Amino acid sequence: MPAVKMEKVIKNYRVGRVEVPALRGVSISIEEGDFASIAGPSGSGKTTMLNLFGCLDKPTEGRVYIGEQNVARLSSNKLADVRNHNLGFVFQTFNLIPVLTAFENVEFPLILLKKGKPRERKESIMNILTQVGIGELANRKPMEMSGGQQQRVAIARALVKGPKVVLADEPTANLDSVTGESILKLMLEMNQRTKTTFIFSTHDPMVMSYARRLIKVHDGQIQSDERM
Amino acid sequence: MLLKLAFRNIFRHFTRTFLTFLAIALGLAMLIWIDSLLTGIDQDSFEKIINYETGHIKILDRGYREDEENLPLDKSIEKPDSIIEKLKEDPDVAGVTSRINFRVMLSDGVDQYPAVGIAINPADDESVFLLRESIDKGVFFMGDEEAMLLGEALAEDFRVGVGDYLTVLTRTKYDTYQAIDLRIKGLLRTEDTKIDYAAVVIPLKLGQDSLDMGTGVTEIDIKLKDPSRIKEFRERLAKEVPGLEVATWKELAADVVAIAQAKRGGTSFVLFSVFIVALIGISNTILLAAFERTREIGMMAAMGMRRGQIVRLFVLEGAMIGVFGSITGCLLGILLNIHLVNYGIDFGYVMRDIGDIGYRTTAVMRGVWNPTMIVTAFVAGIIISAITSIYPARVASRMEPTEALRKA
Repeated sequence: MPAVKMEKVIKNYRVGRVEVPALRGVSISIEEGDFASIAGPSGSGKTTMLNLFGCLDKPTEGRVYIGEQNVARLSSNKLADVRNHNLGFVFQTFNLIPVLTAFENVEFPLILLKKGKPRERKESIMNILTQVGIGELANRKPMEMSGGQQQRVAIARALVKGPKVVLADEPTANLDSVTGESILKLMLEMNQRTKTTFIFSTHDPMVMSYARRLIKVHDGQIQSDERM
Repeated sequence: MLLKLAFRNIFRHFTRTFLTFLAIALGLAMLIWIDSLLTGIDQDSFEKIINYETGHIKILDRGYREDEENLPLDKSIEKPDSIIEKLKEDPDVAGVTSRINFRVMLSDGVDQYPAVGIAINPADDESVFLLRESIDKGVFFMGDEEAMLLGEALAEDFRVGVGDYLTVLTRTKYDTYQAIDLRIKGLLRTEDTKIDYAAVVIPLKLGQDSLDMGTGVTEIDIKLKDPSRIKEFRERLAKEVPGLEVATWKELAADVVAIAQAKRGGTSFVLFSVFIVALIGISNTILLAAFERTREIGMMAAMGMRRGQIVRLFVLEGAMIGVFGSITGCLLGILLNIHLVNYGIDFGYVMRDIGDIGYRTTAVMRGVWNPTMIVTAFVAGIIISAITSIYPARVASRMEPTEALRKA
């Protein structure tokens, strides 16, 4: 069963007076439990695909499904709700809230979801922090952690509410290769343990080598889609 | 969580928050302080007008007030005794007396200054006015004697003291010149500019004789037991003395009341501007915060935070700065006001040079406690801080998550 799906999606951006096509009729289905990499050079449309799956943007034409719900024409508040309930995000620059501790950063989406009592929340947060290997850093603020540790917090934050899909936009681009690899191993491990679908974009061959499904895009179109 | 986040966010840039907060705090403290001072001066002036110049209510000859500036002697009450006797028995009246106000030139043979003459009845003046208590040097009149009391500042101008003589030049009711040499029996220190700087007080009998007034007076002054019933009393009295005019102290001091209000209006405007500047500070601080945290807002939106929640976060930050600013401002205002109420500020050295500015205060100006103003300032500080944060908060919430996330 598809976790997310695109049907004949066209996405154009307006730059000044010029319409620039970013996606030219993309159709693709990502199955539940996939560990999929969208790969391609910069400007190929991979981030646009990720944004559309992430309900951060709307297609110019076509349909985008999260589960069975077409989200292409939802209002921004409805989209916020869809993101809140179904999606987790990992960003290239970690994007943790600097004034909150690791624990509080992971707690943040749960509070937005109004999920669980404080004690249950604490248990699940500590559990996920331990799973991503930074249980002992729960009380540190982002500034007191390394890039790799921050990205682990971000992964924990994305996973803590048990989303259908975790979307990661070049999650290792700001990390050195050793740390980047450890983050990928962690993501793969979490994918296998929790059966959460992971979709991540990259142009790094090392990252692609970890993917269980590799979708190559070029000039706004899917060039190849292969299972590894 | 929003509260916690807002609280920590405002301390991200401590200096900026501190400066914004300081602007609000100082604005509020100044508002409280100036309001206290102005209200204090107003109340003090009004009390002095009542206690030294008008009583609560005056009876005047009809037409006197049109020519009030010239202190006309021909607009007098010819037979005041029967009215005074009747008023003395009135259960609402605490005291009643009569006076003649007249123009005077005071001279020591070398210098000559204009002054205001007040002929008072030594027997009952203190039932309405506080002149007897205001003798600083010398003594009050024992009865109808040929002597005068002089405003202390006026005596200083002539460099004279108790026991010295000055010549009082005036015109009688029939406009003929009159000059009498009078010994200074006492010096008055009332802190009412009209008295201390300009008053020559003589006994009523002496006044009536030297001004050719017969038994006449220019005014009958009344003090009420319950000043809050002044309007009803005025209406009743007006019916009882047909042909004469009855005026309350507020009507008589209308120019002072108007000046006070005008000054207040001007000062309020300046203060309001200070306040607005402080609030623009808040708006600016929040707007800066919104732009600095663009990516963060994008991330929060990506995680499912609704626009309303983002607005609430930033408004909360503004309101919190407002709360801290208001608490500090009110405390600072109260602290400064303690000094102002108990000790006041001595403006004595400038007031004489400034001259008559309407206020009846010669030296120390004291504040008063005005809890309504303090509460209003506190609540307004918070509410307006929150309101001024709405615009930048909306700017923040309108950022598209993809745009916001793209920005470095």
